[in-house]
Formats: sequence, structure tokens, C-alpha cells
Amino acid sequence: MISPAAFARRAAPVFACIGLLAVWQIAALILKNDSFPTAIEAIRTIPDILGDKEALINILASLRRMAIGFGVALLVSIPLGLLMGRSRAVAAFFNPLLMIIYPVPKAALMPIIMLWLGVGDVTKILVIFLGVSLPVIYHSFEGAKAVEEKMLWSGAAMGLSSLQRLVRIVLPAALPEILTGCRTGLVLALITMITSEMIARQSGAGNILFNALDMGQYDTVYAMIIVIGAMGIGLDAIFERVRAMLVRWSEPQFDMPLSFS
Amino acid sequence: MKVVPSRSSEWVRPVTSQRPASTIIEIDRVSQVFQTSARKDHVALSDISLTIEEGAFVSILGPSGCGKSTLLYIVGGFVSPTSGAATMKGQAITGPGPDRGPVFQEFALFPWKTVLGNVMYGPRQQGVRAIEAEAQSRTLIEMVGLKGYENFYPKELSGGMKQRVALARTLAYHPEVLLMDEPFGALDAHTRTRLQNDLLNIWERDRKTVLFVTHSVDEAVFLSDKVVMMSKSPGRIRQVIDIDLPRPRRRNELLLDPRYQKYVVDIERMFDEVDETGSPS
Repeated sequence: MISPAAFARRAAPVFACIGLLAVWQIAALILKNDSFPTAIEAIRTIPDILGDKEALINILASLRRMAIGFGVALLVSIPLGLLMGRSRAVAAFFNPLLMIIYPVPKAALMPIIMLWLGVGDVTKILVIFLGVSLPVIYHSFEGAKAVEEKMLWSGAAMGLSSLQRLVRIVLPAALPEILTGCRTGLVLALITMITSEMIARQSGAGNILFNALDMGQYDTVYAMIIVIGAMGIGLDAIFERVRAMLVRWSEPQFDMPLSFS
Repeated sequence: MKVVPSRSSEWVRPVTSQRPASTIIEIDRVSQVFQTSARKDHVALSDISLTIEEGAFVSILGPSGCGKSTLLYIVGGFVSPTSGAATMKGQAITGPGPDRGPVFQEFALFPWKTVLGNVMYGPRQQGVRAIEAEAQSRTLIEMVGLKGYENFYPKELSGGMKQRVALARTLAYHPEVLLMDEPFGALDAHTRTRLQNDLLNIWERDRKTVLFVTHSVDEAVFLSDKVVMMSKSPGRIRQVIDIDLPRPRRRNELLLDPRYQKYVVDIERMFDEVDETGSPS
């Protein structure tokens, strides 16, 4: 049995979704505009898209690029952020560089990257990589900086070398903070993935969206938006599950046992 | 007698142990200066010399800011002195090592490891097989009174329990010297007393060398063979007091012992003298 309060908390997102769709439906019925299909029309189009082999291949190709860009970004950014957090020299070297890159919209770099690397996978993966890297570096950096010195000393006294301390103490101690960065990074990966496909129109979910727009298939446009949105929500939910599992030890959810000295 | 150069260390060892009281740690004219701003330097420690005998329980007592923790960190190898040197068994201390095990006021447990995982960490690092490390760790956890909490995470424990885990974690890799940095400073009075009693019980079993930093006079007298009284700005050794009280010590007996009371009163008076900001009681 779950309490009414817990039920309300869990059901809240569902109600929010239903509410949003209802507003959409009503607005579309009132406006009666050809380029603005109703929610039901858009939702009815989703099986057509997901049933189409070509579209499915495109979406999977998008996800593949996103996964590679996200994965490579983590492999590079987490060690870099941790090193920056523990070494002033490394931080002093990379900080100015990152401060320059940080405010630049990564999609704005696409034209240049396209000139060098073409409109294929490499360009898009690179843009996703850039989009994901910064929040992950930043949070890894902050997490590593906050690691208690005495914890590292305890490890040093046990005989851990400085590299072992980085991998076996700084990394796990900073993990909650790192994963916060990764979660932001995941959403940014989705955003840069779609953006890159809108700029370099060749394949992918973003391409389907814009092709449909060009052809005036507004049901498909809206359906694709729902599909992309659902992908984002789904990926975030999966990630949140994994995150909660990995950092269970840091969550303040435990009840204190009967305390004794 | 002609001294024969020997390959066997066993041959040498009896000779060293025949010395009246063998020195384990030697602090030789150590000074520590921190640069606080471009012009001003803060002298944390000034010309400290101290020898610590093997198996002794030595407390470093002093007001906050006298550099007593810094001195401990130098022995631990966590901090390098500006001048002077510390040696352990004749070897210069150049960095941390498993022969000197720290216990910090902040506990510094690994929060992603359970109690058992924390205690096993040192032995595993030292290459002890998992089964053996676990068995030893379980025994230690029981010894510090935490049986039943092996699979708890540090987050789930009270401050006193965390410090018990920290002590077990350090004892687990068998350091020759325990370096305790105000270990009970963050605990409430009752918890503090219980941990003092338990530490003494554990210590009286195997009499490891302990260097214990504190600003509590009765804690220092209750636990120690020797109290090193420090004064501040700059941190200097004011006096070294031998605490000549019988062991094993029991708190209820000791508190009534006039000799104990005299030590406490005398050292408290000295403490007030070295700590200008402290109000005389």
C-alpha cells in the first residue's frame, strides 16, 4: 500500500502531461490552423513514424551518435576535471581555455567543423562531445576540489600512490557531483544531437523533423517533437535510476539507527 | 668486542632493544612558517625538539593555534617542516606511510564504503587476502564495539560510531605509531568519555606508541604517560610532564586519586599562563 500523499507525488508528472496535452488539444481545436494539429492527431502519427523502417534507422543513428559523443566526453572530461580539481597547475592551464569555450554555443561552431570534417557522423559527434564536456568538466572539477584533505591523507598513510588516490579516493568521493554534471550533460547531448542534425541535414531524428516541416507534414513535425521529448525524459529517468544506485551511500535518505557513542 | 657486520637483522635487534628506552620518533629542531600574506609570516612552530619512546602514550596539549596539529602532521609526513627534521626509527620522515596511522577529528572515513569496507581498506591495500582481511576487520569492528554495524554506511552512523570505525580502520593495517589529531574533539562530553575509556582499554592491551593531540587537560592526564605542554605564537614546547599514575587506569578510581587531581590542577594553571586569551578559572 502506498499512502495518498506518495501516490499524488508519483502521479503528478502524469497529470502534468495529461494537462499539457489537454491544453494543446483545446487550443488546436479553437485555432483550427492547418499548421497546428491537435494533440490526438499528433499522437496518432507516432506509430507511423516508429513503424517506418527508414525513420527508425534514422532515430537509432541519432542515438548512436549521441551515445558515442556522450561516452567519449565522459572519458575525457571526468579525468580532466578531477586532475584540475587536485592540481593547481592543471587548473591554471585549462581554466582560461574553458572560460573561452564555455559561453560559445557549440552549434555555432558547426559551420567551421563542417568545413573541416564534412557533414558526416564525425562532425555531429564532435559537437555533441563539446556540448557534454563542459558541464561534466565543471562538476568533476568542483567535486574533486571539495574532497576532504584528511581523506586523502588517510589513503596516503595506507600506502596509496597519488594516482591511486585520484582513482580510488577522489573519483568515488566526487562521484555524486560528477553524476550531477553527467545528468546535465545527457540533456545537452540530446539538444546538441538534434541541433547538429538540423544544421547538417543528412540523417537522424532532427532531419526527419525538418523534412516533415519542409513538406508541410505538420502531424509528423509535432509527433517527432513528442518522440524526441519522450526520448529525453526516458534517458533522464534511466540515468537518474543508475545515478541513485551508484551514490546510494551519499543520499540522506537513511534513518539514523538508535544512536550510541 | 669486535662488531661483525651482520646480514641478519635479528642479530642487530637485541642490541637496540637493550637501550634503556628505545626512541621511536625523534623531532629535531622543527620549525614551521606559513606565509599568510606577502609581508607577514605566521610562525606555527618554532624550534621544536622532542623524542618519543616506543610504546609511550604521549599527548601534545595546548591552546588552539599553538601548532600542535601541525606537529602531528609533520610526524605523519603529511606536511614538510620549513626547517628541522623528524625521524622514525632513525629514518627521515619524507612522506606518509603505513607505519604511522592517523586518526582525525573529522573521521575522514570513505563514505562510499561500508564500515567493513572502510576497515578492510588498509589491509587490502597492503596485499592481505580478502578472506583474511575480512576476518581481521570483523574482529576489530567487534573490539571497537560496533558488532552488527558491519554493513552500515558512515552516513548512517553517529559521530562517536564514526570515530570508532576510523580507529578500527587505522588499527587494521598495524601502524607502529598511532597519530591521533583531537580525535574526540567533535564529540559530546558523554560520548567523549566513553571513547576515552575504550581507547585506553584497547591501548593497554598492545601498548602501541600513541601521539595524541588535544586541548583537554583531563583527557591528556587521563590517557597519557607524558604530556607535552605547548604555548602559542610561536608554537613552542613549554614543558614536558611525566604522568606517573598506575595502569591499567580506571576512570572512577582515577577521578578520586589526589595525584590525578594535582596533575590536572597544575597543568590547567600552566595552560592558563600559555593561553593569554583563556580566562583563568
